[in-house]
Order: sequence, then structure tokens, then C-alpha cells
Amino acid sequence: MNSVSSTLSSSERLAGNGARIALILLRARAILVLLLLVVLFSILAPSFLTGANLSILSKHVAISAILAMGMTFVILSGGIDLSVGSVAGLGGMVAGAILTQGITIGGNTHHPGFFVALLATFFVCLVAGAVNGWLVSRAGVAPFIATLGTLYIARGTALLMSNGKTFPNLAANSPSFAAIGQSFFLHIPTPVWMMFLLFALAAFVAAKTPFGRHVYAVGGNERAARLAGIVVPRVKMYTYLFSALCAGLVGLIIASQLEAAHPATGESFELNAIAAVVLGGTSLMGGRGSIAGSLIGAFVIGVLTDGLVMLGVSEFWQIVIKGVVIVLAVAIDQLQSRLQAKLLPLLLRSTPEAGA
Amino acid sequence: MKSLPLFLIATLSLTACNRSSLSKPLIAIIVPSQDNPYFKAEADAAVTRAQQLGYRTRVDAHNDDAYRQDNLVDAAIASGAKAIILDNAGSESSISAVRRATKEGIAVFLIDREIQVAGIAKSQIIADNNQGARIVAEEFARATGPTGEYAELLGRESDTNAQIRTTGFHDVLDKIPGLKRVSAQSANWSQSEAFQKTETILQAHGSLAGIIAGNDTMALGAVAAVRSSGRTHVIITGFDGSPDATSAIRSGELQATTMQPAVLISRMAIDQADRFLKTGSTGEPEKQVIPCDLVTRINVDNYRDFEKIK
Repeated sequence: MNSVSSTLSSSERLAGNGARIALILLRARAILVLLLLVVLFSILAPSFLTGANLSILSKHVAISAILAMGMTFVILSGGIDLSVGSVAGLGGMVAGAILTQGITIGGNTHHPGFFVALLATFFVCLVAGAVNGWLVSRAGVAPFIATLGTLYIARGTALLMSNGKTFPNLAANSPSFAAIGQSFFLHIPTPVWMMFLLFALAAFVAAKTPFGRHVYAVGGNERAARLAGIVVPRVKMYTYLFSALCAGLVGLIIASQLEAAHPATGESFELNAIAAVVLGGTSLMGGRGSIAGSLIGAFVIGVLTDGLVMLGVSEFWQIVIKGVVIVLAVAIDQLQSRLQAKLLPLLLRSTPEAGA
Repeated sequence: MKSLPLFLIATLSLTACNRSSLSKPLIAIIVPSQDNPYFKAEADAAVTRAQQLGYRTRVDAHNDDAYRQDNLVDAAIASGAKAIILDNAGSESSISAVRRATKEGIAVFLIDREIQVAGIAKSQIIADNNQGARIVAEEFARATGPTGEYAELLGRESDTNAQIRTTGFHDVLDKIPGLKRVSAQSANWSQSEAFQKTETILQAHGSLAGIIAGNDTMALGAVAAVRSSGRTHVIITGFDGSPDATSAIRSGELQATTMQPAVLISRMAIDQADRFLKTGSTGEPEKQVIPCDLVTRINVDNYRDFEKIK
């Protein structure tokens, strides 16, 4: 080996190092973009880098980040979940209906309160997730179509529940309900704690448990995963159930923050969640990506949105800029894979020296 | 939870009574959406009045999509409607649909929003958004006082009414030299978007005296954001006169709103359609502009569900 390394010219060695650095930069691009945006907005908007603003910013990020965690598992397994925004809206409506109208059983109306409202919300969302999971894993419907269908079903059901109206004054009926989205713990908003707890849980499951490895395996090569003895339908089912749970949590947070449940809540949230996942470097083909990436992706979108609002940039430009960032992210993702393939020989040739 | 079975029963009984009255003439009612309380009240008022006068009704929503509106007008033509009550999807993009229905011999009555061409629709009954914007802006300026910084939450920027309202606001507010607009953001008529944007605006501008919003749902989003920021003395006004806004006015969180007389306009449109179908004339000029009312804590009890009750 020694003779090989001594025959490496210094220019090749340099190229190898350059390639390695380029790849590291590309891999860390989401966090670099995030840092760049934070620096940029801190210079342009004086109150951007204050504790109060960062706390509010994280609270906004929590909404798309929580959805993105669930979405990451679905996308890693090779699927997609378009229904999360509608399911979030439906979840909020279920909570709103129970808190304001109560439940009528046998002619008697009961007002069961906060805890039952939470359970019912998660139950309804789990049903929606189970429908998605069943359609995709058992009925063989393409994920895009199956979840597009449940998107409409959930939205329509939410509208039917109140006949299009808003359930108002949720906090008046249950003060503890307002705490979900509005309270603080150690000066940090509760939704942000939920985001970080969920992140810790999701990152642990994805990286350290057999289930996490199965999700990657199913998304990477479903046939190989099946032959290796993984129960593919069960893995897929769990990813959709988790995604629907995350959606339910988001529905509760928003209803609690507004103290009102509106049936149109959550429209196009799924797109923000997918954008966060893609920005974080997860491949829409499945099998490649990380939970941490999605969290960073959600922060990129949140910083961009709030920063542009602080600067007073027009809505139209905000939409264009968001689109440009997403397109660039995917383009760079492609560049990374191609560059990796091209640089592989260089890396391999300079590796022995690095080892010596 | 209990409203779902109730709704199903209501729908079933509606279809049942429609079947027994198929011989009655049909009026098609097309509104922008059914999840917005304003358009809901507008559609409900038209349905109630039409049924009182002995008509069958069908209600559809175009979701501000001119193409969908086109299909709904075609469906109304195909199902033999005698008249169409339309809250249209755009002052320019709706002209061809209105013209097509008129050519087929169906009388079209426009409510809430106008189109740019006269002589096609039988009437155009609209709320005076400019006047409504000016009265609420005057109340806003009175409450904030002559000096201070304020933010504006705009509606969907492609919507004519969003533009008319912001013009009306600025007709009043720009004449007051001490009042400075430090931020203007679109929240697309949405409560959750207004909530997040207001939270961010409050961070950027610490001494905000007021927030003037292009409709009630955005104003209520701003109310929630101000409440969660712990700030007091931020004056917020809305536009529309929704039930949620009037209850926020009662509790003092919302300073004022403008009530658009949606129920009145729908009733007028049905009455004129009835008169036109029976006599061949509405007896009114085509364009009728109905003034809006300012709703504040003083007179809030006179209004309910987009209707003046006292």
C-alpha cells in the first residue's frame, strides 16, 4: 500500500481533499443555507435575532416541522402523504366539536372536556392514517392517489361537521385546551418542546431501531426488503399512522392557538411539509434521507417566511422566493449524487493515504 | 360530533321535499365558498327567501375559480334554471359565463361583486366596499389617535375587494400625517396565516398602535396573536361583520368592523328575480350599491349574522 500512496502526485492528493470538502459542504448544504439566511436577516432586520422573535419563529416552524417528521418516514419508505393538511384541519374540528357541542348519546349531551377531546382527535386522525396505510399497503393504490383521495375525504368531512362554520371560543369551554398551543415551559413555547421531543423520538426510531432500518430498506428496494423477511405492508402502515398522528397534533396546536377550529385550516400544509423534507435532503424516491435534515428544512422555510415578513417583502415575491429555494435544493440534490459518482475514483485513490 | 347526523337528516329531508316539488321553477345560487361565514349567510338567505316565494334552489360554490364557475353556470343551464344568483369569481373572468346564461334565456342577478360590463346581468347588487372601508378606517384612526405606527393585513392580493378595501383605508389614513403604516402583508383572508404574520410583525415593530385588517377572519387571527404576545392597547379592526367578529367586539378585543349587508342583498336579488320572472322587469336600475354599516361596541347588539336586526 505504501508504494501506491507514494506514487500519488501532490495534485491528485489536493484534488482528493478538494472533492472531500466539496462533498461535505454539499451534504451540509441545508444547515449552511439556514446559517446564511439567519445572518442575512439579522443584518437586514434588527429585531430578527432577539430571543422573543426566535421563540415565535420556532413556534411557527413547529407546525411544518411536526408534519415533516411524519412525512419523512412516509417518504423514506417510498410513499408520500398528501392528506396531512386536511387531516390536521379535521383533527382541529373534532376537538372543536367536542369542546363546544359535547357528545350526544341517547338524547343526553355530555361535555366530556379536554382529555376526551384529545383522545377523540387522535383517534379520528389514526383512522385517516389507517385508511391511507390500508389503501397503499393492502389495496395496492399508488400513495399519491390514495392520499389525494383522503385529502378530499378529510376536508369534506371537516366541512360537513360544522356545515362550514367555525367552532369559536374553545378556550372558554376548556382553559387547559388553550395551553397546548399558547403555554410556555422554561420560557419556550410548548409547541416547540413538542417539536423537539418528537424529533428526538423520530430520530431515535429512524436510526437505532429495527423498524427504522426496515423503513429505509423498504424505500430503498421493496423487493429485496420483502425477500429479506421484512413485513412490508406493516412497515408502510406504521409510517402512515405516524404521519396522521403528527397531523392531528398540528391540528390541535393551531386550534388551541386561535382558540377556534376552522374547517379550512391546513390547506397546502402538506406542500410545506414535503418542501421541508426535500430541503433536508431526503430523496422522494425513498430509502435515503434523515429526520434531522427535515427539521433543518422546516427551519429554512420558517426563517425565510418570517424573515421576509419582517422585511415587509410583498406576498408575491415571498411565493417566488420560496419556489426558487425549493427548486435549487432539489437541483443541488441531483448535483450531489452526480458529483459523488464522478469524484468516487479520486476519493478512493486518495483514501489509503488518509488511512496511513 | 352531534351536528353530523343532524346534517345528514337535514340533507335527506331537503332532498325529499325537493322531490315532491320538482314542478316548481329552479333558481341556481352560486357563491364563492361555503366554509366562509359570510358567503354561507349570503347563500342561506337567498335559499330561504326563494323557498318562501315558491322556488326550488340549488347552491354551488366556485371557490374563486372562474373555470369552475363556468362549469357551474353550464350545469345551471342544463338543469333548466329560470334564474341564477351569482357571487362571481372575478369581475373580468365572469363576463362570458354571465353572457352565455343570458343568451340561453336565463336571468342572471349578481350579488356582492360586480362585473365590468353593463347590460348583460339583470341586476348587480353590491355592498359599497369603498365606503365600508372608509368608515372603519375613520373609527380605526379615532381609536389609535392621530399619531402612531400601524400594520395592515391585506386580503388575497388578486381579489378585487381586497384592492377596493385597501384603497378605502388609505383614502382616510393617508390624510393623517402622524399615522405611519410600517408593515403591509397579505394573509390571504386566512385566520391562521394572519396569526403567524401578526406575531412576526409585532416582533419587528415594538410600538404598534393598531392593525387594520381586510376582513374579519384575518382580524381575529391578529386578535389571537396580540393576546398571545401579552400586549394591550393594540387597536384591531375587521371587515364583514361576521358573528365571531361581533362577539370579539362585545368582549373588547376587536375595536370595530364593517357590516356588509349580505342577507339584505341576497333577499333583494331573489325579490328582483321573482319580479323579473313574473313581470319581465326588475323595476330597479341594474347597478345598486348598498352602503355598509360600522359596528362598534355601542351598536353591536343591533346586528346578527350579517343582518341588521334592530
